[in-house]
Amino acid sequence: MIRLEHISKNFGAIRALDDVSLEIPPAAITILAGPDGSGKSTLAKVLIGRIQRDSGSILIDGQDIGKEFSRITAIAGYMPERFSLYPDLTVEENLNFFSDIHQVPLRRREEMKKRLLEKTGMLPFKNRRAGALSGGMKQKLALSAILLASPQLIILDEPTTGVDPLSRIEFFAIIEELKQEGRTILISTPYLDEAEKGDYIVFLKNGRILRQEPIDELKRNFPARLFRILPTGTPLAALERWRESGAGGGALFLRGRYLRYLQESAEHGLPAIPARDVTQQEPTLEDIYIYYERHAD
Amino acid sequence: MNAMPIDPPPALISARRLTKTFGNFTAVRGIDFDIRQGEILGFLGPNGAGKTTTIRMIMGLLQVTSGSILIKGYDSRTERGRIKRFLGYMSQKFFLYPLLTAEENAEFFGGIAGLDASTIRRQGERLREQIGAQRTRLKVQDLPPGIRQKVALHVCLMSEPEIILLDEPTSGVDPEVRREFWLEIYRLKKRGRTIMVTTHNLDEAEYADRILIINRGEIILTGDPQELVERRGTGTIEDLFKEAVGRHGQN
Repeated sequence: MIRLEHISKNFGAIRALDDVSLEIPPAAITILAGPDGSGKSTLAKVLIGRIQRDSGSILIDGQDIGKEFSRITAIAGYMPERFSLYPDLTVEENLNFFSDIHQVPLRRREEMKKRLLEKTGMLPFKNRRAGALSGGMKQKLALSAILLASPQLIILDEPTTGVDPLSRIEFFAIIEELKQEGRTILISTPYLDEAEKGDYIVFLKNGRILRQEPIDELKRNFPARLFRILPTGTPLAALERWRESGAGGGALFLRGRYLRYLQESAEHGLPAIPARDVTQQEPTLEDIYIYYERHAD
Repeated sequence: MNAMPIDPPPALISARRLTKTFGNFTAVRGIDFDIRQGEILGFLGPNGAGKTTTIRMIMGLLQVTSGSILIKGYDSRTERGRIKRFLGYMSQKFFLYPLLTAEENAEFFGGIAGLDASTIRRQGERLREQIGAQRTRLKVQDLPPGIRQKVALHVCLMSEPEIILLDEPTSGVDPEVRREFWLEIYRLKKRGRTIMVTTHNLDEAEYADRILIINRGEIILTGDPQELVERRGTGTIEDLFKEAVGRHGQN
């Protein structure tokens, strides 16, 4: 079990991480979620030792590692946000190179490579130059390169930013398999719909943790209720009237033909909007993030 | 629900048998689509599906190989100068100059759009009202993502385009900022603007009136995203997308 305790980091006047403590549960997917500038990438880099923390501790099984990052790097694979492989080498040459770096024994190498290329669906592309791969394939290759070392902890920094939807779906299917194999996975992402695929969530905002919890508990214990409203008139007109009326008790948002109403307390009832249909729905992580952000202070 | 039969608004963008080849590779294969005035169209597809090629043909940045694309009735092949005036383009990530201030970006893009000095000044005042005077003097790279996005949208709207092309408009911004951004887009729609948005963020497609999924240069699914999901019974747009592309086959 890995714990981070009271981690802070400043870049000049900017407080990138402000007293952040969290636990990374084993054999599960932990998601660091937040907008750009919330501190999620800095946190991942502090954990792997690429950025020096100003204060706070990193513990493995209760033992403070101090500055001995080799204890983390011995068990972890880190995939940075930007593609970090050699564009002029082929897929296979990149994997050979990283096998050398990770000192994968020669007799295991071919089997490992084959397994990873199959797992990621990259076998047909093994002779393609890495620079000529699509965004999604580059990320799969980068993931394969870190998996060569068979890391127990896999840290992925915004692995799907700018990656097309299909590749994102495939990428997460691989991540799910890795979890089933018992690996511990930490992923930072700005996409809250993607965060739904995790087990634990850490919401970050301006370098601080807004909330951290197993996702199912977070949803079960969420104090507000979400309603989808199909208004009789246009949703925009209904929303603007509601905002002008200064009605409280919740937050109203537009979503296509529907309005989504987050009812923060039952005593306020539902907004007075002529509606064709009102349905209670399970809130998404986006709804929950917004709720806790509004109630942060 | 009893809808009165009414004439649909006219098509602002109309593509017929639109095709683009690069050497032996056909990026867009004879597609037909219309975008009506006041519509928000979500344009989705995997990488290499032909999205960017289509957008570039709309913008007149790429020559059409065969077929046609008409913008307000003007042919993109011959009337590029005229068409440019109708179009505004915005992307969250790769658009503003990071080392210029918000104000300088607005002046620069206003100049490119051919706006006169007094309009640029007036637009500068609007920008100060929107984000605060102090922030307009900060380099874009030092602005928070939500403010950067407001600047980008402001710049896109300075020439009051009728058609707005949004390319990944909200990646990396706060969820609440994102919802407010979309509210602004709905206000533009109410004022009769037509919006085409490409996104890799499938949950964002729910904001569109209609989605159009393109794969291997062909349109494989189109419709109201909510209706498409409801007709399927369960799931999300992501499931729809996965199914449609899966059926059609990948590159």
